[in-house]
Amino acid sequence: MKILVAVKRVVDKDIKIRVKPDQSGVDLANVKMSMNPFDEIAVEEALRLREKGQATEVIAVSIGPAQAAETIRTALAMGADRGILVKSDTALEPLAVAKILKAIVDQEQPGLVILGKQAIDDDSNQTGQMLAALTGWPQGTFASKLTLEGSDVVVTREVDGGLQTVKLRGPAIVTTDLRLNEPRYASLPNIMKAKKKPIDEKTPDAYGVDVTPRLEVLKTIEPSSRQAGIKVGSVTELVGKLKEAGVI
Amino acid sequence: MSLNPLGAWELPEELRMLQENVARFMKTDVKRVDDQLPHDAISAPKHLLEPLQAKAKEMGLWSLKSPQEYGGAGLSTLAVCVVTEEAAKCRMGAYVPACGAFGADPPVVIFNGTRDQIERYAIPAIKHAHRTFFAVSEPSGGSDPARAIRTRAEKRGDRYILNGSKFWISHAEGAEWGIVFARTGALGDRGGISCFIVDKTMKGITTKVIPVIRALAPYEVTFTDVEVPAENMLGEEGKGFSVANALLVAQRMPYAAGTIGIAQAALEIAIDWAKNRETFGSRLADKQAIQWMIADSEMELRAARLLTYAAAWKADLGHDAKIDASIAKVMATETAGRVLDRCIQILGGMGVTHEMPLERWYRELRIKRIGEGPSEVHRMVVARHLLGAGPRKPKADA
Repeated sequence: MKILVAVKRVVDKDIKIRVKPDQSGVDLANVKMSMNPFDEIAVEEALRLREKGQATEVIAVSIGPAQAAETIRTALAMGADRGILVKSDTALEPLAVAKILKAIVDQEQPGLVILGKQAIDDDSNQTGQMLAALTGWPQGTFASKLTLEGSDVVVTREVDGGLQTVKLRGPAIVTTDLRLNEPRYASLPNIMKAKKKPIDEKTPDAYGVDVTPRLEVLKTIEPSSRQAGIKVGSVTELVGKLKEAGVI
Repeated sequence: MSLNPLGAWELPEELRMLQENVARFMKTDVKRVDDQLPHDAISAPKHLLEPLQAKAKEMGLWSLKSPQEYGGAGLSTLAVCVVTEEAAKCRMGAYVPACGAFGADPPVVIFNGTRDQIERYAIPAIKHAHRTFFAVSEPSGGSDPARAIRTRAEKRGDRYILNGSKFWISHAEGAEWGIVFARTGALGDRGGISCFIVDKTMKGITTKVIPVIRALAPYEVTFTDVEVPAENMLGEEGKGFSVANALLVAQRMPYAAGTIGIAQAALEIAIDWAKNRETFGSRLADKQAIQWMIADSEMELRAARLLTYAAAWKADLGHDAKIDASIAKVMATETAGRVLDRCIQILGGMGVTHEMPLERWYRELRIKRIGEGPSEVHRMVVARHLLGAGPRKPKADA
């Protein structure tokens, strides 16, 4: 069984982002980019299934600018077998990404597609669900546990107030939550091997997908900064201040 | 032929990936251990260290400089520099990269030894991260060993008898074995030095700690009628330095890289402080005096890093990188010292408390301008290269 994993190139999670002065978006010049952390978890999960002998091949797909090849290379260094890069310089919306992934699914016929539940840049949390709708496959989102039972995919989901376990009839779509696993470090030998693994380059046109945005970003602004608080010396003073503020 | 200017001045993709991996390992796994240790710790306790080492082994980063065939990572000099720079970014990083996660390399000269010497000494040392030492310097000096070495090795049958003492020897206490340079020929003759492997089973070796500015203290090692079997001679008699030279040159680039890593980590702390600390109605970061310190530090660190990379790259190509190594060593260690000094100034009183690693790094970086050849000796090497002059020889008839 093949597993398809979607990996997105995003601003590194440790970087404090800056908004462009013209408010047209986030400034990406000279900013460190990395693989979306939820996607790393997706790659890790796919690799574990392959290591258990439950999958035969892990394919990493990224859709984005030419530099997204680096993100695929990271997945290959972790252990994925090959990559597909769909090059596009247009800002891609979840529906466009889902349509491209659907075309790749049709071509590759994986038994499982694993995606991050969301990307940390736009926090859309839509691509996995849209892909499930387009393929007509069952979906297990926000997975904190994933097991394969024959052709069934058992997913424990992190939902409000607890855990929900669902059994999906494969092929299926799974999106990862934080607690699913702890992604490995790419080992030095695998980093060296990654260089030789193939990355297939495509364009959205090749899949017949129109990626023209359907949304228009009006402006992007920084969150308003918090006002500094005050320090109080005693409980009496605290109660006094709270009364002053009219909250008690 | 078309010249492609792109890709010439950056690390290859796999080294960037390795760099990111190590940086992440430092920020997550190593930091968790580092945060639990005292300010001047020189090792991590076993229960914290072993999980780190297991992860490092999985990453293929064990004994970075040692060849793969003997159980090491077999990294190129440039790769060692890249890893060492990141691995220095913890409290004990100046002398114990990544809290010891990557094991320990035995003195690299052992790899010029015989198959038997490598099997008996190098391979177990790599496997078990044995403590080992490398002893050249003596109370009479370290930079000019041809003149200074007085420790004698007298041949008696199938063994050599060692007498004398070595100074400033790190990791001597509790070491499994070490490399010792001793005189088998006439005093003052560079050709009269031989190299030996001594181990802890040999009688007559004593160590005495030399307390210094850093927590990881060096030792004086004294040899009293130590019997060393002839098969423990490394290389040929009288050619002790020829086993060492090229390998020792290649040590200087990672040495430089480590100091750059520490200074960069200090600069990050200072930048963070400057952005948050308010005085006289504005942030430190808004004051030009502070801005210039930060800008100068970044500029100088970038220059030192490129010199270090260039020297490492040249050594990896198999060229003679002696001059380049000297230049990188001086530039990096002196830059790092300056940067630390500025960072402490930016933090003020906080800079010298034990809350922050800065004062520890400051002390340790001071030694880096002396260890692995002091700045002046490296400047002398560069000057001799440029001026075409060696030391002036006394006239024969004088």
